[in-house]
Amino acid sequence: MRTTRTVGMLAAAVLAGGALTACSGDEADDSAGGTTITVLSSTIVESPEGEVEQEIADEFMAQNPDVTIEYIGVPSNELQPKLVAMASSGTLPDIFFNDPAFAAKSVDLGAPADLDEVLGSEFVAGFDSQGVEQASVDGTMTFAPWYGVPTGLIYRTDWFADAGLEAPGTWDEFIEAARQTTADTDGDGEIDRWGVALLGSADLSGAGRFLPVLRSFGAVELEADGEGWATGYDTPEASEAFQLYGDLVNEYEVTPVGTLSTSYPEAVNLMSSGSTAMMISGSNGIGAILAQNPDLTGKLAAVPVPHAEGHEPAANLGLGGYSISETSGQKEIAGEYLKFLLSKENQVKWSEATGRIPMRSDALDAIQAAEGDLAGFVEAIQYGYAPPQAPFYTSVQIAGTEAYQSVILGDATAEEAAAAAARATREEIERAG
Amino acid sequence: MTRNAIRPADAVAYGLLVLSSLVVLVPVGWMLSTALKGSDELFSQTVRWLPQNPSLDAFVRVFTDYPFGAYFANSILIVTVSTVIAIAFAALAGYGVTRFHFRGRGSLMTFLLLTQMFPSIMLLIPYFKLFQSVGLIDTRTALIIAYVSFQLPLCSWMMVGYFRSVPTELDAAAAVDGCSRLRTFFQIILPLTLPGVAATAIYAFISGWNEYLFALVLTSSEDKKTVPVGIGQLIGQYRIQWNDLMAASLYALVPLTLIFIFLQRRIISGMTAGAVK
Amino acid sequence: MQSTRDAIAGRLFTLPVLVVSLVLVAYPILYGIGLSFFDTNLVNRWDFIGLENYARLATDGSFLNSILVTFGFAFLVVAGNLVVGTCLALLLDRGLRYTTVFRVVLVLPWLFPEVVVALIWKWMYNPVYGLFNADLLAAGIIDEPVAWLDDPNLALFAVALAAIWKGYPLVMVLVLAGLQTIPRELYEAASLDRAGRLGKFRHVTLPGLRPVLLAVVVLETAWWFKHFTIVWLLTSGGPAGATSVVSIDIYERAFKNFQWGDAAAAAVVVLVICLALSAIYQKVLHRDDS
Repeated sequence: MRTTRTVGMLAAAVLAGGALTACSGDEADDSAGGTTITVLSSTIVESPEGEVEQEIADEFMAQNPDVTIEYIGVPSNELQPKLVAMASSGTLPDIFFNDPAFAAKSVDLGAPADLDEVLGSEFVAGFDSQGVEQASVDGTMTFAPWYGVPTGLIYRTDWFADAGLEAPGTWDEFIEAARQTTADTDGDGEIDRWGVALLGSADLSGAGRFLPVLRSFGAVELEADGEGWATGYDTPEASEAFQLYGDLVNEYEVTPVGTLSTSYPEAVNLMSSGSTAMMISGSNGIGAILAQNPDLTGKLAAVPVPHAEGHEPAANLGLGGYSISETSGQKEIAGEYLKFLLSKENQVKWSEATGRIPMRSDALDAIQAAEGDLAGFVEAIQYGYAPPQAPFYTSVQIAGTEAYQSVILGDATAEEAAAAAARATREEIERAG
Repeated sequence: MTRNAIRPADAVAYGLLVLSSLVVLVPVGWMLSTALKGSDELFSQTVRWLPQNPSLDAFVRVFTDYPFGAYFANSILIVTVSTVIAIAFAALAGYGVTRFHFRGRGSLMTFLLLTQMFPSIMLLIPYFKLFQSVGLIDTRTALIIAYVSFQLPLCSWMMVGYFRSVPTELDAAAAVDGCSRLRTFFQIILPLTLPGVAATAIYAFISGWNEYLFALVLTSSEDKKTVPVGIGQLIGQYRIQWNDLMAASLYALVPLTLIFIFLQRRIISGMTAGAVK
Repeated sequence: MQSTRDAIAGRLFTLPVLVVSLVLVAYPILYGIGLSFFDTNLVNRWDFIGLENYARLATDGSFLNSILVTFGFAFLVVAGNLVVGTCLALLLDRGLRYTTVFRVVLVLPWLFPEVVVALIWKWMYNPVYGLFNADLLAAGIIDEPVAWLDDPNLALFAVALAAIWKGYPLVMVLVLAGLQTIPRELYEAASLDRAGRLGKFRHVTLPGLRPVLLAVVVLETAWWFKHFTIVWLLTSGGPAGATSVVSIDIYERAFKNFQWGDAAAAAVVVLVICLALSAIYQKVLHRDDS
């Protein structure tokens, strides 16, 4: 029976030890005095974003020795659970990450302070107008945009030059370019290079590419309509967009197999492995491709998303930014930090490192003047649209993905799929109404 | 029959075991291969098992570029403590439920299951509020308590199962010999269920070790985070740090494998103990 | 008198478990059930609406479909885990040489976090640079790449396969331990009765495993019925809703749409289904126990 007793004592020791260390480690260390600003951020845990952001914070702390900037890092996928948990128990940090999709909900939770007040309207005027529009809910500035990831079309300049192609402006030119870049390069009778890495996944990544396409045909998935909402999913223009997705896969065969499970990482891999010539993506896409295959440096460029005849390109700006919580007792200092983060110098530094486009007008001008591979995305900003701030918008986006998936699968015609997406959207509108 | 001759049934058994092991090892081997690759080689279109320029950089980076040392210390502390508590409570309950008649035994066991049946995403907010109200947010203590509550249902159910398979005649015999209930439990019955205790402890440790969502939401500061949270942070909004991710996952495997190797011996020794009895 | 003392002792032994579960089971569940009667954002809007959330769910086609899909998914995974796990446990219990090595190798999938398992399988399923197609093409079993997760008929099986890979070792280890606690005397007695291998399995092994199997099957069903991570990362519920399990539906209601009342009502439906299933299991598996 000795062993039993030993095990028992061991267990007791571990328990006691665990409890002690657990407790002693848990005491908050606020001996230094001064103020601590807490920031809930997802970029801080990313690479290289986090390093740049931490550098900026360190610099701010060096300039303001009585202020401590404390980041709470949460991966972007889990931001909302964390934020809701904090909001529901009234313990929001001073600064928290926000974006246009979440802005309306955060206002509904009573979370963000009015930034016109905290930052001052003079500073707010320095944002690109698109940024201000998308960060505002009912005329109140809810977050300070600190980057955009506008949608554009990334393409292989070397292959385009070989084939004598120009960057496509319209969808017809796009299809032509896709057909010409789809090829059997090693002559074994099997196609091994395709025109498009098409994101056909049923997630927000897929939706984020499809909706600008939809809008470049002149249809709008959801827009404010008086007091309520209206959908254009079942317009003839929308059907053309669904048809395009189906045709790229089934008619022109310019996409590699597996479109429906191609999400952003898979599409980036297709581009970086030299399997595809074009990809609709945010501005971070170029950096991601180059990180995986540095040999492609100088062989990638971007233009705004193509458009149908008689319509304009469209871009989802993919904004992200920081809100200051209404419950924070240190709004002033938090505001100072945001202004520091958004200075021209820090914005350009951040953009060069991450491929995320700044939203401060002075920084944007600097990037466009430099004419790097991000310039095409800066051009796309003017075509940016504000995602509708309906609480059920996610369902509307997902309805669109289900529709293009069923067209690609051949389960439905473009018109049927469009009608189904419209039906699902109207159900959501009704429930919300 | 000579010692070297393998019976046909055993040959089939070996065949099946080897085949299953292959199914397991292929993905694991790929993880190792990915961890050894440079970022330029991660996504070649052809499947390449052996990296062209293998490097251990990722295995070093995990500890130099990220605070995985602290994550490991936290995980080991939190999960060890919660496992010991859960097993102790579960063993007591297993004995209590199988050896005594009292009202509400069955409903207690069913009641325990309720949280296992409620989508955990919906439990997140009440847990957060609960710990917030007692000031335990962002503490290791909160995670220990939470994990005990996650581990208890299966542990209790398993222990009830294992205790049930030990004949009650042994208790009766011990009572005749003048053993108290508590001594009977510790000295006679519990040792017989050691294989079950070992298997259950393995379960409890692994489930705690890999828990992600609650660890993420209940802690905030860098020095309280656990290994899965650290691993989750390598999956970014737009980019996955594949080689670092795989290296960290393989490191995370080490303590678990050691624990398993250690405890699975107990499963065997428990077997012989049972046979001797 | 004996029975009163018995009852007190029994309650004392189960007291720690009872306390933990009262605090950490009762409160969250009651909170969740409570939410389902409200229209709420958890912070400043709490409108009591009675059973309205449930009424809406009952007519919501996508919710009902997701319940069906979930039944299919949970059945595939639990059955797969039980069969694979039990078979491997029996193989490992034969006392062959090198058993320890096999035991350690075969338990590996269980040791990985779900996120990592999902990412690895997503990579293996990838139609262009994934492992499955590369190997199957090389072996000549298929002559063009298959998009495993794209085909509505295949996707659920593909996702379930990844889940089984992750899930079977738990069953294997628990059954293995269960096999050890079956008293050897029972086998000896069966030998005296001239029972064959199969007879021993049916009359000694299976009944001996019953309590363990019951616990495993009840919990496995509950876990996989509300499983989220692997499905979410592999398919996000696609293609065209073929793998939209109910926990994805709940996640989207709660954290994407902020319809907490709806999400809670859906969670309560899951709870009721799991409870019903466990009651059925207990009836079936306990029947010839007494």
